[in-house]
Amino acid sequence: MEKKGTVTQLSSIFPAEEAQKASKRVEEAITERQQQLNQIKGFIDDNISLINLVQKLPDETHHNIMVPFGKAAFFPGRLIHTNEFMVLLGEGYYAERTSKQTTEILKRRGKALETQVESLKAIMQDLKAEASFFDATAYESAEGLVEIREDYVDEDSSGTLPTAGYENPDSTSLEVDNRKGADEDEEYERLKLRMDELEREEEEAERANESESSDEDEQTQNEANSTISQNSMNQEVRSSPVEASDVPGVSKDGSSHGDHIALNNSTMDKALELPQDAKKVQTPLSSSNTAFTGSIVEHAHNIGMQLPEQRSGARSSKPVSRFKMQRK
Amino acid sequence: MDSAQQEKVRKFEEFVDRRLKPDLVHAIGERDKVFEQQKIFSDLRRNIENLEKNSVTSLRTRVNLGSEVYMQADVPDTRHIFVDVGLGFHVEFTWSEALNFIAAREEKLARQIEEYTRLIASIKAQIKMVCEGIRELLQLPVTEV
Repeated sequence: MEKKGTVTQLSSIFPAEEAQKASKRVEEAITERQQQLNQIKGFIDDNISLINLVQKLPDETHHNIMVPFGKAAFFPGRLIHTNEFMVLLGEGYYAERTSKQTTEILKRRGKALETQVESLKAIMQDLKAEASFFDATAYESAEGLVEIREDYVDEDSSGTLPTAGYENPDSTSLEVDNRKGADEDEEYERLKLRMDELEREEEEAERANESESSDEDEQTQNEANSTISQNSMNQEVRSSPVEASDVPGVSKDGSSHGDHIALNNSTMDKALELPQDAKKVQTPLSSSNTAFTGSIVEHAHNIGMQLPEQRSGARSSKPVSRFKMQRK
Repeated sequence: MDSAQQEKVRKFEEFVDRRLKPDLVHAIGERDKVFEQQKIFSDLRRNIENLEKNSVTSLRTRVNLGSEVYMQADVPDTRHIFVDVGLGFHVEFTWSEALNFIAAREEKLARQIEEYTRLIASIKAQIKMVCEGIRELLQLPVTEV
C-alpha cells in the first residue's frame, strides 16, 4: 500500500513568537473593549440614579439647594417648578417634559445603552476565543508538536487525513489540491476505462437479449462477487481491443453514454463477464430498440438497485436479474 | 571610531526621547490646567461685576441634574456667594469680598503660570542643546573627511 506522508513541525507553520505576539495584540484589543464596557456601564448607572432623582423631585414643591454659578461658586437657592424638566434630545434640541415623561425618555436611553453593552460583550467573547486559540497554538508550537499528513488510499475517496489539531488553512488546501490533482488524473483514467466497459456491456446486453437467460444469471452472480477495481483494470486492458471494434455498433446508443460519467462501480463487475462472454465478442451487434436514456448513479453496495427498467443490459447484481424480469 | 560616535549619538537621542520629551509634555499639561483655573475665576469675576452693575438681586437659572436634564432654580438673594477656596472649602462672601478674593486668587494663578512657563522653556532649551550636540557629532566626521 503506498503511503506518502509529510511530517511538518507546527512551529514552522506557526512560529511560537508570532503566535504570542498575535495573542498579545488580541489581549490589547480585549482591554480596550473592556474599558469601553466599563464606561458604558458607568453611563447606565448614572442613568438609573437620575431616573430615581427625577421621580423623587416632584414630591416637594420647592427644594433648597446650592445653585452653582460657574465652576467655582455657589448661590443658595431653591428648585422651583419641580415637575418641569428640560431634557436634551441632541443637536441643540431640548424638550420640556414632566417627571413621568422624563423617566420614560431616560428608560429608553437606558435600553439603548444596554444593547450597546450586549454587542460589546459579544465582541469581547469573540476576541477572547481568538486569544485562547493563539495561546494554545503558541503553547503547542513551543512544545514542538508535529503535524503528520498521509494520503488516504481508497478507491472511493481521494481525501487526506491530517492528524494534528490546528492546520494552516492555506497550506491545507494547497496540499489537498496537489494530492487531489494526482488523484483526479487516476480518476479520469478510471472513468475513461469504465466508459469503455459500459459501452461493451451494452452490446453484450443486447446480445444477451437473444441468448439464453441462464448465462445472464451466472454473470449476475459473478458480478455480485467481484468488487475489486484493480482486477477490472487488468481486464479492461484485455478488452480494449475488443471495444475498438464494437465502437461503431455501440454508437447507436451513444447518446446515452454521456450519462455514464457518474461513478459506476458495477462496470468493474461487468469486466468479469469478458472471460465468460468471449464467444459473444465476435458476433455482430444486433439492433436494439431500447436505448438507455436515464442516468445511472450506482454505488458499490447497491449495484443495480437504481437501474431504470428500460435498460436492456443485465447490470443487476441482485439474485433476480432485471433482465429476467424484463423478459418475462 | 564611527561606531563609538554612533553609539553616543544614539544615547543622546534616547535621552531626548525618553526623559526630556515626556517632561515637556507633562509640564505643558500642568500649565494648561492652571490656565483653565484662571479662566474660570476671571469668568466668575466678570459675572459678579455684572451682577453688581445691574443690581441683580434674584436670579432664575436652569440647573443641570445630570445627563443634561435641567430644572428651573430660583435664587432669591444673590448677595451671598459661596466661593471655592480650595481644599474642599467654600466661603460665604458678599460681592465685594468675593471680588477681592478672586483678585488675589488670580494673582496666585498668574504666578503659577509664570513658573510653568519658565520650566517649559528650560526643558525646550535642553532638548535644543542635545540636538545641537548630535548635529555636531555627525557633522564633524562629514566635513573633516
